[in-house]
Amino acid sequence: MASEPAGDQQQREELEEEQRQVSEAQQGNLDAMRPILERYARPLYGTVILPRLGDTASAEEVLRDTLATAVEKIRRFTWQGKSIYPWLRQIAINKVYDVHRQSKRSRRLADAMVHEVPVESDPQSHADAQLIADQERRAHRERIEVTMAQLQERYRTAIELRLVQELPREECARRLGVTIGTFDVLLFRAVRAFRKHFGERTAPGDFLGEHTSEERPS
Amino acid sequence: MATDDDDILTGLVPDPDAEPTAAERAHAKTFAELVDKTLSGRTPPAMSADDRALLEVATVIRATSGGLPLAPAKQRDLIEDVLRQAVGVGGGAGTGTSSGAMPGVVPIERARARRWAPWIVAGASTLVAAAAVVTLWLRTPSRPSAPAPPVARAVPASWTSRPTDPLIGPIPRERAGDAGARIDYIFADRLDGFRERRWSPGEPGSRGGKR
Repeated sequence: MASEPAGDQQQREELEEEQRQVSEAQQGNLDAMRPILERYARPLYGTVILPRLGDTASAEEVLRDTLATAVEKIRRFTWQGKSIYPWLRQIAINKVYDVHRQSKRSRRLADAMVHEVPVESDPQSHADAQLIADQERRAHRERIEVTMAQLQERYRTAIELRLVQELPREECARRLGVTIGTFDVLLFRAVRAFRKHFGERTAPGDFLGEHTSEERPS
Repeated sequence: MATDDDDILTGLVPDPDAEPTAAERAHAKTFAELVDKTLSGRTPPAMSADDRALLEVATVIRATSGGLPLAPAKQRDLIEDVLRQAVGVGGGAGTGTSSGAMPGVVPIERARARRWAPWIVAGASTLVAAAAVVTLWLRTPSRPSAPAPPVARAVPASWTSRPTDPLIGPIPRERAGDAGARIDYIFADRLDGFRERRWSPGEPGSRGGKR
């Protein structure tokens, strides 16, 4: 408990520093934007953009657009005693939505995100950027875990070994006691099954739609 | 149980123990190699739509597991790029600015001014042109001056046309070689006309009045 006031103090100082940087940027000092961008580029990429796009190249491009828009429109930002992060996050989500709309990859995904935005980026319900990012990261993990729980054991293990632990194919095959060719088939089916179960969820915030619901968990 | 690989995204996913078809095996191998390349950061730009959709799922799983952070060098380059573009200094991807040293900070105001400069010039030019057109349009016509003298006044027909046919008439064949005499005759006639025109008193262009 003794560390809590110190943490609060540090958070307050960081917020004041951020407010000063935003104010300077709004007055025309471009360099004041640099620490803000450096601080939030990573959480924007890792918790907002990439999990919604699933493609690193597109995600980097969207991050670039997001930061550029933030620099360009910094004067329109109104300081409300909270971090600038929700504002940046909103820009990023709008960009992601544009990407999905343009590529027509998933109408449902785009629609779901529209519903999701006001809930998660409400500045009144979040204390600071780190909290928002952590909350979002947890929400993503929860979705993944819920979907993983619906998969058959062997599929779950294949995904866990190859995509989460990132072990080589040979090692994954050895641990499952199968040939590499068989493991390839297992992983292939596992990702297909994951995608179907992931897409079948209908709650707002689902992403990666474009599916049918013919198959049910066995 | 053999499986059909036709419908990758929407078809039924077989049980783990189901026997794969040759097509599914081949597709699975292709996908495994794509995952290999993606894990090593070399995602191929071209792939089938089905593979891309599945790879996106794999990437989402990895990203959510914290396996795909933005590389610090990449982040630095992105930010440098964004700031450079914002001030209109060169920029573009891959400018190699990972040293982090941004040469001189240009205030946003100046950058904005640079961005608007062409429009300002174009606008000013348009205004000047419009003003010129309006000035020409509204300018009062100049006061009518004294009536200009007629361009041509009536003169004797012989001054403007002296055909040679009445002078020479038909040329008989036996006199066809006397061209010199005919030319002399015509010249004399022309000279006579010139004198008449030139030395007649009171005629415009004549010198008769001065003598």
